[in-house]
Parts: sequence; C-alpha cells; structure tokens
Amino acid sequence: MGTGPDVLSGRRAVRIVVAKVGLDGHEVGARVVARGLVDAGMEVIYTGLRRTPEQVVATALQEDCDVIGISILSGAHMPLLRRVCALMKEHGLDDVLLLVGGVIPDVDVQPLREFGVDEIFHPATKIDEIVRFITANVRSGPGDPEQNGTS
Amino acid sequence: MTGTRRRPWGVPADEEFFRLDAGPAVQAVYDRGDLSRRDVGDERIGAPGTFPFTRGVHPDGQRTAPTLVKVYTGLGTPDDTNRRVRKLVDWGAEIVQLAVDLPAQIGYDPDHIMSAGEVGRSGVSIASLRDLECVFDGVPVSRLRRVGMLGNAIGPIALALFLALAERQGCQVDDFVLDLQNDPLKEYVARGTQFLPVEDAVRLAADVVEWSARHAPHFYLLDVCVNHLNAAGAGSTWGTAFALGNATHYIQTLIDRGLPIDAFAPQIQLFLDEREDFFAAIANVRATRRIWAELLRDRFGALDPKSMALEVTAYGHGRETRKEPLNNIVRITLGSLAYYLAGVQSLYTASYDEVIQTPSDEAVKIAVRMQQIMGLEIGLGLTADPLGGSYYLESLTSELEAGIRERFAAVEAAGGARACIDSGFIREIISDGAVRRQERYEAGVRPMVGVDRLAVADDDSWAVRPTSVMSEAAEERRRTDLAELRRVRDGRRVTGALRDVEAAVRRGDNSVATVLEAVRAYATIGEISDVLREVFGEWVPDQTF
Repeated sequence: MGTGPDVLSGRRAVRIVVAKVGLDGHEVGARVVARGLVDAGMEVIYTGLRRTPEQVVATALQEDCDVIGISILSGAHMPLLRRVCALMKEHGLDDVLLLVGGVIPDVDVQPLREFGVDEIFHPATKIDEIVRFITANVRSGPGDPEQNGTS
Repeated sequence: MTGTRRRPWGVPADEEFFRLDAGPAVQAVYDRGDLSRRDVGDERIGAPGTFPFTRGVHPDGQRTAPTLVKVYTGLGTPDDTNRRVRKLVDWGAEIVQLAVDLPAQIGYDPDHIMSAGEVGRSGVSIASLRDLECVFDGVPVSRLRRVGMLGNAIGPIALALFLALAERQGCQVDDFVLDLQNDPLKEYVARGTQFLPVEDAVRLAADVVEWSARHAPHFYLLDVCVNHLNAAGAGSTWGTAFALGNATHYIQTLIDRGLPIDAFAPQIQLFLDEREDFFAAIANVRATRRIWAELLRDRFGALDPKSMALEVTAYGHGRETRKEPLNNIVRITLGSLAYYLAGVQSLYTASYDEVIQTPSDEAVKIAVRMQQIMGLEIGLGLTADPLGGSYYLESLTSELEAGIRERFAAVEAAGGARACIDSGFIREIISDGAVRRQERYEAGVRPMVGVDRLAVADDDSWAVRPTSVMSEAAEERRRTDLAELRRVRDGRRVTGALRDVEAAVRRGDNSVATVLEAVRAYATIGEISDVLREVFGEWVPDQTF
C-alpha cells in the first residue's frame, strides 16, 4: 500500500491530506498551508472543518496519502491526536508522516511525539520550512523536484 | 527611493513596507492639498455627535460616554469561571461576555461524541441554565453594565439562557442589559461554529432581534463582526465591506418581517477590526461610521439619529507573538490605544498570553487595568475625536471609506451577502488575503520583533503564568453532572417544551418564547439544537481551499 512503483521512482507527487479535527473552526491556516503545498508541487486533499479522527484516517487510507497534516487550535489536541495515532497504527499507516500545526503549548510537544507525531509547526512558520521537512522525511525519500507536480 | 537607507535593525527598504495591510500606500507626508484633493471639507467630516458621525457618536466624546471595559472570558467548568467572573467584577470590568466552549457554541452537549476533548477547553462548558446559574453565582446580571455571550449559531438559546438566569436571580428585563453577537453569517466564512443551513441560521438570529425590538429595546442583540473576517485574511477593508453586506442582509430580513427600521437599528453594533496598522485602525472606525450613517438614512430610511449613529465595539489586539510574550502587552496597548482614540463604545483588550493559552488571571487583570489606565490616567478622553482634522488621518479615513464603499458595492452587485457566501466569493477573498499576508511576512516586509527580526534564544517561559487546564477527569465530571441533571429535572416538562419548540419553528413562528420555556425546564443546549437540526437539516463543510 502506498509504495507502488510510481512512488518509488519519484514520479508521483507527494500526496497530503490536510485535515481539521474536532470542533475548531479556524481553518484559514490550514487553507494557506494547503495552497502553499500545492504551489510546491504536492497534491493536497483538504477535509474541511470538523472531522473525527476516524474520518481523517479513513480519508488517508482512501487517498493513499504520504502525509497527514492536522491543524488544530482549540486545545483539544491531546485526546484527538492520541486517537489519530492509535488509528494510524491500527491501519498500518506507520510510514505516513504525521504533521501538526496550530497552537500547541510547549509542555505538550514531547508527549505528542511519543504518540507518533513527526513534527509540530507553530504559528509564524514559513511554508518553506514545512515543504523542506516533508521533502526530507517523506517515505519515498527526497523525490526528483523536477518530477514533482507534473502528474 | 529609499533603497540606500539601511537601518541596523533591519527596516525593509522595500516600497511594500510603506503599504498598509488595509490597502493604501502611505505617502511620506500629507498636507492641506491632500484634503482638498480628496474633497474632505468640514461638512464631510462633521462635528462629533452629528451626522455623518465621522468624529464619533457623542458631542463630547468620552466625557459622558467613556469606552466601556469589556472582557471575553470563560474557562473550564462553571465553577472555574465563577471564580474568574467574581474577580473581574472586583477589578472593575463593566461588560462580561462569556466565552463558552466549542461544543456549546455548536449546539452539542458535553456527552456528545463530537465534544470529546473539547469540553471546557476554549471556553466554559455550559449545557443548561443550571451551569449559567453557577457561573453567575453571587454576581447578579444587573451588577454589570452589560452581560452576554456570543451565541452566533444558537442565538435564541443564548438569549433564553440569560433571560432565564435573570429570572432566577430576581432581576427584571429592565434591570440589566444583554449583549450578544448573534451574527451567524460570518461563521460560514471565517469563524466556523455554524451547524444549520445559512438561511435558517439568519432566521433564528432575526428572531432574537425581533424579540428584543418588542420586549427589550435597550438590549444589544446584534453585533455584526469584521473581526473574524479580517483576522482570517480578508483584511479590514474587504472585511468591513463583507460585514456591511451581512448587516444589510439582517436588516432587510427584519424589515421584511414588518419591523420599522428605527425599532431595532439603535441596538445594532459593528465589531470593527484592524490590527495591522495603528492609523488605519482609527481611520477604519471613522470611515465606517460615515458609511453607516448614510446607509441607514438613505437606503433604509432611518429617521432616528440613534439608528444612524454607529455603536462600535472592538478587540484591542496587536500582532501578538509566542516568542517574548511580554512584548504582547506593548502590542496590545498600542492596538487598544487606536480604538480608544477612535472613540469606540466598548472595548475588549486581549491578554498577552492569549496566543499561547487560555489567559491566566494575571494576564486578564493586566488587560482590564490597561483600559482603566487609558481611561483615567493620561488625559486621552478629555476631548472628542482628538485626532480629527489631521492631514494624514482625514486623508486615510477618506481613502479607506472609498475602498470599503467600492467593495461593498461589489458585494451588492454579486447578489449580496448570502450569494457571496454561497458562491465561495468571500471564502476566495479570505484565502487570497491570508496567502498575501503570509507572503508579505515571508518577504520580510511585515517584521515581527523578536521573531523574524532581532530574534534571540532566551528562555521566556517564565513570562507566562500557567492556567489550570481542563483535565480529562474534569471533562468526565461534566458528563456525570449532565446525567444527574437529566435524572432530577422534570422529564415530561422538558419533552413537552422541546415539542413546542419544534412546532413553533415548523410553523415559522418566532422561536424565542418556546426556546425560553425549554431553557426554564432545564432542557440542554444540545437537546434544543437537535430539534433545530431535525427541522432545518445540517450544514455541510466546504472542502475547497
């Protein structure tokens, strides 16, 4: 799953599910990042507001994505991300990168990493930093940038 | 060209640095010629307290009507918030706007599956009248100048909760002033607590205003917001145009119900917002007052000057940062100062730690004190509109006015607020604007001191006092409390009241009377909202970006 020949040869664009979980209605950050990732040649599926962890992981499976990016600013990140991580393990999405963006207090950073979150981006992050992180860490390894986004 | 003038701490030489987020490029200097070129004469500006109210709605500015200290607060359980509200009263806060958690704002009870992890997080957990009684235990609603909550998606329930609370406290409707936001339209494009189809939400909001026009004309039950539109990315010029479009939609809905404009227009507030540029914030308020006065008089035929004189509320923000958080006190002071100089009627002041956590007591106290210092210590409010007549400010007021009018006309030409929400037009402008801001930040023309300029690696964690966050155990207790309420209340009365709500809404009656009866019977926000979902159906999320 997700490691077909197209990915290995770097011909398929990196595919990302950008998701809003819980009841948080602040979606513009997620939309700006989504647009920035498209500009960087990635393929983005945006879930829209108010998704459950179950819906997010189901979308990730359906879309055969390489990265899940979760935006959350409501303060409910601990229980919701614990659930997302558990569901990802249950469905064998161990090689899918899990990124989190939003208002995350410093004390929660280490516990989130222990759940399985790969990176946390705070407000005032430059889009480039996110693109660089994804390119460096996505499961297929750094693809040929010339090939990205041409599909 | 200023290209050769480099400053050691890195002010950009880029021309873009001299362009306001609100649109206009700023000249190096302004003089009398700029006023005549823009046709800004004395009659266009007017006197304070007279049409078109550019210089404010009172003839003597802050002397008889000082800006009221408004606080948006709420955290954890009702008990936690009661402790906070009592402190606020001690500190001298005049308006308490209760911040309720997302489940309550979206019409879910704490035991709903969607509420998991959200209970008491971004506001106080409220399920029923019992919780509101607890929040205001020892604080009669008449003790404050105004009291309320946002209630954007649950307007009639919010109104009913406070009416029932006042009854329980032995206060008459005339003894207190309720202040609700009750502005659902912007939720669909910028804030995100909507759960019903757009038109049904507007209908419920109109029920609330119609009720108060008939029973409590001294309440403020419609506060049309620029704040969230601007912050999401629209910018204050587009944001104000969209808010005017939204206000027009509400006003027309109420007129179509047969209400005379002067019966409800005086209770409308606009929640204006510009937090990027100091002078633009002042100019935006002055420009919008002028547009509003003409809109109400010429379009809607208002005769009462109170309908034309715009009541403005605002939220004193700066461009707050997580790094070096105490600097936010400086940013917020400057942002609040702009609104104070613009002569707004009521003002929230952000807490310096708000960008990091639910504000601590200490941070909220500083926010309250900030306004009291501005109001009492340094002579800011001695005269009306102290900056009126300034070449720059009057030119900018005029320029922003033209920008807002042009965009408001575009909204109208595209079919008005409702059509612009449905077509994705507003969503698109907001996304584009948010991207533009991100690009300006990344290009270094919107510097943030201590973040992308002059950054150092100091540990600033000492500067934020931790707040006791809502624990998962406390969330569980909220569910147990709710189960207990369901056991002890009169179940038959609740069921009957909910059936009456459904019947009234299906008939097209004003929903307030039946919702009030349900709230008195301790029906929960979730139960009443489920009736509304049942009748109207549910809003579907938009997946475009």
